[in-house]
Amino acid sequence: MSGQLHKQGVTLEWIRGQLSGFGDLEDKIMAVPSGEVSLLYIKSVTDGQTISRNVVAPFYEMGDPAAYYSYIADYPGSEEVTEGTRALDLLLSGYACIGQAGRLCFFDALKAEVSGVKETITESISQGPSDALGESLAVNLNLIRRRYQSSSLKMEFTIIGNVSKTKVAILYDESRVNHNVLAELKEKLDSLKLDVLQAAGELEKYISSDKLRIFPKTIVTERPDRVVFNLAEGKVAVMLDTTGYAIVLPSIFNDFFTAMDDKIHLPFVGRFLKLLRILGVAMTLWLPALYIAFTSYNPEIVRVQIALLIGGSRATVPYPSFVEVILMMIMMEFLTEASLRLPRAIGPTATTVGGLILGQAATAAGLIGNIMIILVSVVAISNFLIPLNMMSFSIRVLKYFFVVAAAVLGLVGVVICLVGFTMYLCSQRSFGQPYFKLFFLDTLGTTLRKKSGGE
Amino acid sequence: MAKSRYFYCLFLMNTLINIINFAPRELIDARFDGAQSSILVAVATGTLFIYLFTKVINKFPGQGLPEIFGSALPKLLAAPLIFVYAVLWYMAGALILLSFVDITLRFISPDTGPYAILFGFLAVVCLCSRIDSLSLLYGLEVTLGITLPLILYTTVKAIINPDFSWDAVLQVMTHSLHAPDMNSIAAATFTFSGYINLAVFNRVFHGLKLKHIWILSLEGFLVLAICFFVPIGYHGTVGIERHVYTWFTTADSIRIEAFLIERMLYIFYFAYITLSLVSAIIQWHVGKELLLSLLPSTAKKPKKKLRQEIVILVLFAAGALALMRMDQYDLNMLGVFLLHIRWYGELLLILLLFWCYWIVRRRRA
Repeated sequence: MSGQLHKQGVTLEWIRGQLSGFGDLEDKIMAVPSGEVSLLYIKSVTDGQTISRNVVAPFYEMGDPAAYYSYIADYPGSEEVTEGTRALDLLLSGYACIGQAGRLCFFDALKAEVSGVKETITESISQGPSDALGESLAVNLNLIRRRYQSSSLKMEFTIIGNVSKTKVAILYDESRVNHNVLAELKEKLDSLKLDVLQAAGELEKYISSDKLRIFPKTIVTERPDRVVFNLAEGKVAVMLDTTGYAIVLPSIFNDFFTAMDDKIHLPFVGRFLKLLRILGVAMTLWLPALYIAFTSYNPEIVRVQIALLIGGSRATVPYPSFVEVILMMIMMEFLTEASLRLPRAIGPTATTVGGLILGQAATAAGLIGNIMIILVSVVAISNFLIPLNMMSFSIRVLKYFFVVAAAVLGLVGVVICLVGFTMYLCSQRSFGQPYFKLFFLDTLGTTLRKKSGGE
Repeated sequence: MAKSRYFYCLFLMNTLINIINFAPRELIDARFDGAQSSILVAVATGTLFIYLFTKVINKFPGQGLPEIFGSALPKLLAAPLIFVYAVLWYMAGALILLSFVDITLRFISPDTGPYAILFGFLAVVCLCSRIDSLSLLYGLEVTLGITLPLILYTTVKAIINPDFSWDAVLQVMTHSLHAPDMNSIAAATFTFSGYINLAVFNRVFHGLKLKHIWILSLEGFLVLAICFFVPIGYHGTVGIERHVYTWFTTADSIRIEAFLIERMLYIFYFAYITLSLVSAIIQWHVGKELLLSLLPSTAKKPKKKLRQEIVILVLFAAGALALMRMDQYDLNMLGVFLLHIRWYGELLLILLLFWCYWIVRRRRA
């Protein structure tokens, strides 16, 4: 009997084919002695209560499939559809499909998950959507599906962690994704043997191949719009239940310097902001190192006035510039870390005491030069220009390499370090994609225009 | 797969590097007897070499020198040839490093020990020359992106300086009608020999398409002219011969009026040391790859390959340390000697490749 119904429902079969690979697809047959009805919907975008109350319950109350079908078809907001693409659109936007004797009717059961969606904290922007991914996978999938209504967006589910049994969803746009990347990711996820998996960052650590690395190879983001933007670029997103962050891969160096409101700004403003970020990175990396090089090795490089000014401000400092820089930078790191952990009420006190009073006292005591204080503040502030936290932390650590190189070899050390890290960056690959290039559009082009046979 | 534009990067790297070391000195030594005509000859032969070499290497897509020689020549002939070329590449890289140690001591930090600087250079060059060829090309492109604007700035600033003596330049021009001289030709053709790195980098080029070779010759000509005439405009027709690192003294004569850094020397030094380190990395990478091909195959044995690489690079570093005992005069002699050898080496390499192509085609027919 049921086989007969499925044979008659040609469009239903077609829909099932289109939605293969949808882990969140619910495909049910409801049967009473006089006949049966197929029920098809996507769980992550529909409201389970609406469906059970308005779709399932009436069927068993009425007990007659044909009458039930006309009841559903007459329901306000319902739609009878014969065309395939329209049917898919409706399903993806939160309708439930009811099939009876070859006819298809779509019932509006959209779940609008508004409550429970919080605002972004770590990646705030000035304009644009402020929804953040929540800690429930269902909510997150809803947030993504609502922004990406295409039948080529596939979701696959697996479970990782022997004890934690964390639900993991892999999202990708089938028509745009690089299938090598997808295969590599799945292979890595399959080979994972863990007891507990709790955070997206943790997973990031496990699926990256080399153990000793300084730069993040995948974006960890809390913004659904960033996930959607990247999915449309052919990337793969991995989402975990119980964490408010998603992983996007493959991610190249440039991706970490893109804020989501770059697109909102006027072209020149957007470029300017991007330039600011690059300048910020350059400052935070090089300023401490150059300070050491200019004071201890090559004071003749800068103008005489500047050299004298720095020398004058350091007149009372009883140790070489290397010690001064390391001391102040470690102090600054303490402050940053402390203000992260402190309760919100005490946070401002810590920054005031640490930043203002301590800095003032240190210069008054002659332990630190005035210029050093300015420098440390610039370094600390410019470090936070980077929109994504993972990269910001990497750069924070990276600057110590430059400091040490400058302390050993002066300006030459800084240059050696620069060449070394440029080469290192270029040698990195994120899931087969070159991590760092002069014209990063090349790299993006491979995913977007891979059919045209680019590089 | 690398795009053809990376070939231009390799070429550009060599033209720019050429300004530092032996080329301006050799050309300026011959400024009254044939440097000008040598430049023209060098442009012609250099372009011809590029044309022939890229033509013939294109017949072997994705193959480096070891693969080509291995497939066409008897092993007894191929192995010594590859060894000699590897040594040549190694020496080219080592000379760049050694002269930069000298330059750094002279111009930047006289109080840092020469061995400390060399160890720093060796650390970055040895570590980075292990990186795969394609990534090195990306790195080269990034480096050019950083340094090229600075180099252009220096050049423009040098030429528009009101104290630049055009009279001196014109006076040297009056000595143009002179037979070319071999030393100058050898020095000037080095400007064009960036293409030779394809010997290994051809592995990542599949179907190299070169358009507008004339741009390469124009660019090479301009660089040679600038590298020859600008120092003369600064130091005078006769005064110029007293300088060893001609371009560094020239850059030191330029003042930047409105910037934190007042002396152009440092900008110039920064640009050129960055580029030179990358060029040394690339040259040692080629040398290392050539030597690796002589050792037993290590496919699928990464540990063994790592061991072989470490041995080669330690030998490279030890060689550079041993060469540190040379003084400036010896270094210069060795450099000029190498410039000559390299020129004949390039010629031989092109002939060998044509021969290999002939053998392979006859075998196939």
